[in-house]
Amino acid sequence: MFRAQDTDALVAALLDSCCEQVLETMFFSPVLDHAAPEESNGKDRIHTQLRFHGKPSGAFEVDADFPVARSMAACFLGLDESEVSPAQIEDVLAEFSNMTCGSALSSLGRVEYFHLDTPSTTRSSGFTPAIEGVRRGFQMEAGTLGVCLRVDFEQE
Amino acid sequence: MALKVLIVDDSPAMRNFVRRVMQLSGMDVERYFEAANGAEALDIAAATPLDAVLTDINMPVMDGEEFVRRWRETADGKSTPVIVISTDATAHRIHNMLALGASGYLQKPFGPEQLRNELERVLGAPHV
Repeated sequence: MFRAQDTDALVAALLDSCCEQVLETMFFSPVLDHAAPEESNGKDRIHTQLRFHGKPSGAFEVDADFPVARSMAACFLGLDESEVSPAQIEDVLAEFSNMTCGSALSSLGRVEYFHLDTPSTTRSSGFTPAIEGVRRGFQMEAGTLGVCLRVDFEQE
Repeated sequence: MALKVLIVDDSPAMRNFVRRVMQLSGMDVERYFEAANGAEALDIAAATPLDAVLTDINMPVMDGEEFVRRWRETADGKSTPVIVISTDATAHRIHNMLALGASGYLQKPFGPEQLRNELERVLGAPHV
């Protein structure tokens, strides 16, 4: 039988490995270290949130210093950072959300099926968490990147 | 033989990435076609002989499941390889897409080598 802390530890480990794999394989951006996204308070941030439905359902969010998101978009699209538009940055961060959430859910083991909603993206000043869940933070070259996953197994 | 490849994804960024990875993979591609959903993909596939299709699942208007199912009902769609590219690697999803007629399945994240290996597997020959 799973205990809540076992599930949280498993989700945390999955988020670490999935984020690193997605960032390195598809964004050519290495994770330098773990980081606390709260340290980015007061900075220009971009935030993406999505819900997923199925067995189980839940929510996922990504928040990043804007320079991190711009750098990720440039690497993903093969462009110079100065050539990347705000719409492309939102599109790419949404793709990162989809890939990381889907990859973590596919690896979780207790997931039968899921459907990801279209992510919504907003800009903010500082770290503005919107969901409660397992949160991980990463230090990237251009700033910090945070992810949070909530899995509602009890709603199965 | 140079390939004609259709990339189906509602995200322009993802279509651009797939095209870049195809180029990095060394595959010999004559022309890329792009569609933002299954309905657009069916229109392109009806008008153009294709060697391979790479499709997402979650898309507005017509999703990847409906696209694969409908295209497999057409004469041209019966034999052209379709590779599904998705974040969803649950057994339920993979089984469903293969049962609908997909030839291969590639989970994101992926790089040039994985894409080339899967394409060559479904095409049955190297195209470098």
